[in-house]
Amino acid sequence: MESTIQADLAVILPEIILAVYAMLALLGAVYTRKDGLAPMLVWMTSAVMIVLAILIGSSAAGTQIAFGGMFVDDGFARFAKVTILVSAAVVLVMSQEYMQRRDLLRFEYPVLVALSAVGMMMMVSAGDLMALYMGLELQSLALYVVASLRRDSEKSTEAGLKYFVLGALSSGLLLYGASLVYGYAGTTLFSGIIQTAQHGEVSLGLLFGLVFLISGLAFKVSAVPFHMWTPDVYEGSPTPVTAFFATAPKVAAMALFARVLHDAFGGAVQDWQQVIALLSVASMFLGAVAAIGQTNIKRLMAFSSIAHMGYALIGLAAGTALGVQSMLIYLAVYVTMNVGTFAFILMMEKDGQPVLDIASLNMFSKREPAKALALLVLLFSLAGVPPMLGFFAKLGVWQAGVEAGLVWLVVASAVASAIGAYYYLRIVFFMYFGEDTGDERDWGNTPVLWGVLMASAAVMIVGIVNMFGIEGAAAAAAATLVN
Amino acid sequence: MSLFIIVALPFLGALLPGLMNTAGRAACAGVTFTVTAAALIGLLTNAPAVLSGQVVTAGFEWLPLLGLNVTLMLDGLGFFFACLILGIGLLIITYARFYLSRDDNMGEFFTYLLLFQGAMVGIVLSDNILLLLVFWELTSLSSFLLIGYWKHLPEGRQGARMALTVTGMGGLAMIGGMLMLGQIAGSYDLSVILQNREAIQESPLYLPALILILLGCFTKSAQFPFHFWLPHAMAAPTPVSAYLHSATMVKAGIFLMARMWPVLSGTPEWFVIVTTAGLVTMVLGAVIALFKHDLKALLAFSTVSHLGLITMLLGTGTAFGAMAAVFHILNHATFKAALFMSAGIVDHEAHTRDIRRLGGLRRLMPVTFVIATLAALSMAGIPLLNGFLSKEMMLEEAWRTELYGAPWLVPALATLGSLFSAAYCFRLIGHTFLGPVRDDYPARPHDPGAGMWLPPAILVVMVVVIGIAPFLAEPFVKLVTASVLGEAAEVPKAYFKIWHGLVPALYMSIAAVVGGLIVMAIFAPMLRLWDAAPRPEAKAIFDRLIAAVVRLAERIALPLHNGAFTRYGAVFAVTVFVVGYYAWSTGTVGPATRAPQPADPVAIAGWLMLVAATLGMVFLHRNRLLSLILIGIVGLMVSVGFVFFSAPDLAMTQITVEVVTIILLLLALNFLPNRTPIESTVLHRTRDAVVSVAGGLAATALAYHYLLRDAVVTPISEFHLANSYKGGGGTNVVNVILVDFRGFDTFGEIIVLGIAALLIYALTEALLNGPVRARLLNRLPDQPRAGDMHPMMMVILTRVTMPVVLMVGFFIFLRGHNEPGGGFIAGLVVSIAVVMQYMASGFGWASARLRYPYHGIIGTGVLIAGLTGIGSWFVGKPFMTTDFTYVRIPPFNEFELATAMLFDLGVFLTVVGAVMLSLESFSRLARRAHMPDVEHPMDIDPSRGDPPVASVPTPAKEGV
Repeated sequence: MESTIQADLAVILPEIILAVYAMLALLGAVYTRKDGLAPMLVWMTSAVMIVLAILIGSSAAGTQIAFGGMFVDDGFARFAKVTILVSAAVVLVMSQEYMQRRDLLRFEYPVLVALSAVGMMMMVSAGDLMALYMGLELQSLALYVVASLRRDSEKSTEAGLKYFVLGALSSGLLLYGASLVYGYAGTTLFSGIIQTAQHGEVSLGLLFGLVFLISGLAFKVSAVPFHMWTPDVYEGSPTPVTAFFATAPKVAAMALFARVLHDAFGGAVQDWQQVIALLSVASMFLGAVAAIGQTNIKRLMAFSSIAHMGYALIGLAAGTALGVQSMLIYLAVYVTMNVGTFAFILMMEKDGQPVLDIASLNMFSKREPAKALALLVLLFSLAGVPPMLGFFAKLGVWQAGVEAGLVWLVVASAVASAIGAYYYLRIVFFMYFGEDTGDERDWGNTPVLWGVLMASAAVMIVGIVNMFGIEGAAAAAAATLVN
Repeated sequence: MSLFIIVALPFLGALLPGLMNTAGRAACAGVTFTVTAAALIGLLTNAPAVLSGQVVTAGFEWLPLLGLNVTLMLDGLGFFFACLILGIGLLIITYARFYLSRDDNMGEFFTYLLLFQGAMVGIVLSDNILLLLVFWELTSLSSFLLIGYWKHLPEGRQGARMALTVTGMGGLAMIGGMLMLGQIAGSYDLSVILQNREAIQESPLYLPALILILLGCFTKSAQFPFHFWLPHAMAAPTPVSAYLHSATMVKAGIFLMARMWPVLSGTPEWFVIVTTAGLVTMVLGAVIALFKHDLKALLAFSTVSHLGLITMLLGTGTAFGAMAAVFHILNHATFKAALFMSAGIVDHEAHTRDIRRLGGLRRLMPVTFVIATLAALSMAGIPLLNGFLSKEMMLEEAWRTELYGAPWLVPALATLGSLFSAAYCFRLIGHTFLGPVRDDYPARPHDPGAGMWLPPAILVVMVVVIGIAPFLAEPFVKLVTASVLGEAAEVPKAYFKIWHGLVPALYMSIAAVVGGLIVMAIFAPMLRLWDAAPRPEAKAIFDRLIAAVVRLAERIALPLHNGAFTRYGAVFAVTVFVVGYYAWSTGTVGPATRAPQPADPVAIAGWLMLVAATLGMVFLHRNRLLSLILIGIVGLMVSVGFVFFSAPDLAMTQITVEVVTIILLLLALNFLPNRTPIESTVLHRTRDAVVSVAGGLAATALAYHYLLRDAVVTPISEFHLANSYKGGGGTNVVNVILVDFRGFDTFGEIIVLGIAALLIYALTEALLNGPVRARLLNRLPDQPRAGDMHPMMMVILTRVTMPVVLMVGFFIFLRGHNEPGGGFIAGLVVSIAVVMQYMASGFGWASARLRYPYHGIIGTGVLIAGLTGIGSWFVGKPFMTTDFTYVRIPPFNEFELATAMLFDLGVFLTVVGAVMLSLESFSRLARRAHMPDVEHPMDIDPSRGDPPVASVPTPAKEGV
């Protein structure tokens, strides 16, 4: 009895380390009552995350199961965890200087990010509906708080509240779905559900459970029409928090989505394929169309992330190993692009005040050619224009879609990406061919942000050589999920 | 030389000009020239193989999982285009070296130029269509940089923007088409795709793939209705216009159509779409070109027109048409590049490109005059120049082509296009070079140095040589045609010669030239007519279209995301409804396995009361007190429902929770106005009503469906029923579940409950220390207060019943293990007793008598529960293992003692502490707001106007 407990604990060691670290950090900071510790905590937290990412990334291949199947540590989970941890660590480091200067940096921030990262790690490893819900809520609760971090700002608190209420609604829906699934499968274990849920014999109860689960998860990945919170939260939250929202949680939610659909309902692909495809096409189009009229770059990035989730969902809708693989690659590339873009947005300021209007980028190329070029590369990549890495990511999901027979979805997606290109390119036009306002701005220029921006831009170009080998890793990861 | 090196050279070389920027203009140009020349020589080393009909290939796997291989292929067509790109590239580089001024950043310019060149070479040598796409978009990107090179010109900015928007979007659409093509053929390699003509044309995906690919081609090659961007890209420096917009980039679309010709052409769809677009573009471009005053705009529209011509030839789908197209590509590249460069020379020397301000340059710039005239005459289709030959072939092809069932349509339009084409060529010559010398040129024009006129001169030599001796070009053109045709058709036997006899094409040609001369003669009145005629301006339409689309997008997106929570909620609810309906309609509905229970009148009455109360809530909720009462009824009926379904534990819990909640809400009522204001419109409320009724009905239907069906597996409750007494020592299964089976959960829950209470306390504390405090202190009740703050009857009643209630609580606690009851319910009952003291006797009075702080009670509860769990370790059992025994203490009967009861005590204490702490926290808000500091129950409020009481009893005297 005890030996299995130890074996179980060994499997979830990374999660335990991070959770214990977060709690210790919290206690330490509470007892010293010093927000002055916060910068150090930020760096420490991200160091811990990086170490864990290395630990997880270099751990032995193979699938380990803990707690009677509730927790699964396989290649898929490891791929997602490394992506989550690295992106969360980078975003944390990016936020330190920005938040400190605006007196936003509370010690709770790194702790909450760490806790939500624990939740995300739990999510991607969930092998059971209860583990799923636990991870999801741990993540979400931390995010709700982080969203309203700027307590004295009406927008920030409103965003947090909206996110919370809608999130609670979706959690309720998800729970309802989970209980229906339990009622009609007789188990909450994914490995048990998949025995019951085979195509052609999915009972109505199970189907209801499935669609409600999908709805709840769609909210977390902000797929249309469950996306309504996204623009408000992105706009209202402090920019570093927005950067965080746009990266790690999206990866976690998508990975969880894939995990549930393949591990628990992999036998009934036909039953969910159309729903996912519809979510995907709606997300892509709404993301593309709604972003056109935006002038606030954070809101624009919100719609952009909605659209990108739509593209990633194509990989999921394919319902094949290739689809999951392309989705993972898409997410990794998406996160890299977003981290870089947000590093740029964090630098957008005037006299110390953040500026978020894209019109402020007029003739930016003249003032800061290097940064403008880096952003140009990132924006082209986001738009999916070859030969940037973003194109290859898109190509991957498209091929998976075509191979799964979802040609209509792929064509719609190509059209949506053509529409979406408009608003990315508009920023480029502003930077290179805008009206010169002669506005000499004092632009924030911290080495960390500058480095992240340049690095991610470089990745978009250098990555096309061999995608840094993530292609193979993603393939291996997908193979562990879909068989 | 390996094909890889040929493609890579320009890219690698692109670094050099930037690095050598400081070394001077000559060095920049020199290194660029060398790189291009090296690539060209490398290409020519492959010439023998290609000319002998072989296909040179090279390749390696790049991202195999994406189907993306770097495979290059050099056949006749690729060789032809690569020669054009690199050869004309050399001339352009030479020309640009002298054209650009000292202020221009040479390094930047040549870097972009080489990038562009590399991308173009990549397109024409790609064997993999995905690789081709990568290069395709790279040309868009680098051309964007080149067009925008002169940033100081506002029209340059606009032009670059439009060019990239149109071609970029077209390219993205094309990706979709390419993916489909690859899907049909099973490979993304052109060599495989080109073998699958039948499979592709029979596929249902053929038409969408065709449309998407053509969208890419048409946007790139500026075909109608996407022809408008090209003229606006002309603000770029002239070398760029000459290179991109005559010889190379705009030909990429043509190239792709030629490349795909074997698999895509020959179907009615291809014929109608491509031929129509080509014809319209040809005529439209020629007509507009005639009336342009800017030399470069004129040339730009003429380019559009000629591209249309080539497109039309490819569209006919015949081998002869393809051959004519290939030949015209060659000819057009030579004379048009020469013309652009001549226009650049004029602009460079005369400082204007406006034809109206020019004229008479023949004498001032004789060399330029000769070059431009020969090139323009070739474009007009004058014999002995190469333009005549391919135009003749075009007219012949047109003569044989029947579109929309009208045999005259294509020949007539082709002749018309040629006519206007001839006319603008004549105008170009006549109005720029002929006529009298003027004295108002912006600068004194003269011929430039050889560096600038030599490149166009070389091209014009080719124009003349091919024009006089077409047989020289014939084998090469036929070779290229053969690779265009692939296996789809045979290369036609026709010979290239100047004189074909009195064929219809000759008459058409004569008509065109003569007509052109006539148009020139009556040009002035025609121009007035043109200027007076209203006509759609493509750019304005484009701008308006974009603006309209943006407005539309805003109109869709902004109201949808206006931040209104109700809207988000409505969208959410409707979606869930739709999703649920989807599940309902696609799932298999089994027959009902249970019969509904008979409904007795009591149950129906209860149900009716529940419904009535709920409905009443909906309509009367603006009156808050009323709605509170109605909520009470709802809660009561739910509790009764639990009783009805034989769940006494639930009923007891529900009813106690109900009481506590209502008390809490009563406290809140103090701070709220009597009525909720109306904030939404009738429309909104109707929408909400519809949404919520639909949601309610759906939930009801779902519940009803499940009630009539057994779950698929045996419910877990059977295990509990079987083991409750045996394992847990209790006959009340609910309680045993709480404290035993799921004791660990309960332990967690009470901790959460405790934390929640502490949090409420902390938050209200923080609130009361903040700005809210002042607002509360200054708040005036909006209604007169009851004078009798502590009604005597109530005070007495609560004090008298307090011991009784405590006893009841104790009883419920004790019996909990076997009968309905337990720590949780007992905790709530005791809490109610204490809360009643607060309500009746006032906060100050009650809290003065509080011996134990609630924090401590919560902590003790959690500790007891935790220690009980730990206790099992001492007997070697896992955490939370329970045990029970029976004892007999006289005079009582034998009764049971279980460790679970100790655990339940922890639950009880935590519940009491948590409920009281949160209620107390809330009531403190009320107290701060308007309570006097000292409160005395059974006091008389003087503000009511009663005669003052003689002596006010002090709290000390009044103690219990």
